[in-house]
Amino acid sequence: MARVTSDEPRWASGVCAGVHASESGDVVYVPDNPLSHVLRIFETAFRDVRLVLATREEEAFGIAAGLYLGGRKPTVMLQSSGLGNSLNAITSLLIPCQIPVLMVISMRGDVGEWNSAQVPMGRSLPAILDAIGIPHSRVESAEDAAKTVQVAGETAFGTRMLHAVLLLRTITSRTQVRLESD
Amino acid sequence: MTRAEAVARVADAMPPDWLTIVCNGMIGRELYTHADAPSRFYMIGSMGLASSIGLGLAIVQPARTIVVLDGDGNVLMNMGALGSVAAASPANFFHVVFDNHAHGSTGDQCTISDRVPIEKVAAAAGYRRTMRAHSAGELDHTLTKFFRETGPAMLLVEVERGNKPGIGRVEPSPAELTARFRLSAIG
Repeated sequence: MARVTSDEPRWASGVCAGVHASESGDVVYVPDNPLSHVLRIFETAFRDVRLVLATREEEAFGIAAGLYLGGRKPTVMLQSSGLGNSLNAITSLLIPCQIPVLMVISMRGDVGEWNSAQVPMGRSLPAILDAIGIPHSRVESAEDAAKTVQVAGETAFGTRMLHAVLLLRTITSRTQVRLESD
Repeated sequence: MTRAEAVARVADAMPPDWLTIVCNGMIGRELYTHADAPSRFYMIGSMGLASSIGLGLAIVQPARTIVVLDGDGNVLMNMGALGSVAAASPANFFHVVFDNHAHGSTGDQCTISDRVPIEKVAAAAGYRRTMRAHSAGELDHTLTKFFRETGPAMLLVEVERGNKPGIGRVEPSPAELTARFRLSAIG
């Protein structure tokens, strides 16, 4: 595993290590606050991972589909709110065409949320993923981040089906108050 | 010029090893019927995303020529993609838009492309070269130089409304389209 600068949170280092270990070399993203830690670690410690910025999440899944068709194993990183505008791409392109993507989702709307606009999608997201048949795993501690992401990616690319990893706010929001343990 | 005729003329200018992404609707069915190849991927849904798929492909396959065959309704549904393509600026990206000012696959309901010139939007976003063909003769003339440009480049082709009767559907399953395309891209 590549060395990571000390002032980034450990959960974010784990996400990067997990993506890398699953042999996904391309990350298409629409950023949010917690994901900016992940992006910085990719930029500094995983220079062989290509980062591609999209204007909206549905477009990110389209670009990821092109990366897969070109021979790569793509990851899409998004905030939970962005699943809403991605559903058409997921259900009418990626699933029927058996194009696998590792989804890394920064959760909003769960415990600790302050913005009511984030709540309906955030709380419904696991049920929406269940309804369209996308398996999902949860990162609940910094220690299990790398393994959870790696296994999710390997499952996605092995089975040619999408797999989502949910980064819970109880983990990611710690970075804003920066506890001693982080 | 009918759209099916325009699609055929553009297809005839494309060697089969060029990697082509085609938008959903009649344009894909017309290309499939005229000249199918494993290197041609037909969207069956995900309206608007042909250019985004083409961008991902162009990033990862910089040595190959990438062609996106699109419609006005498709481009208007995902205009942010024009900015993403322009920002990434892949030299191997060629975007052909068949423009009939209508949603031709669903009953010819009007779009807004009669008032919004799509190739000018692409030029303003930062495509290196954009062109418009008004007729079959102009299309043939333009095609002799369009694919020699440095991309990203857009060619907008004005076409008549209406669908060719008896046009077939794309036969391979979506998963089969993915598998055969990926082989031809990596191969």
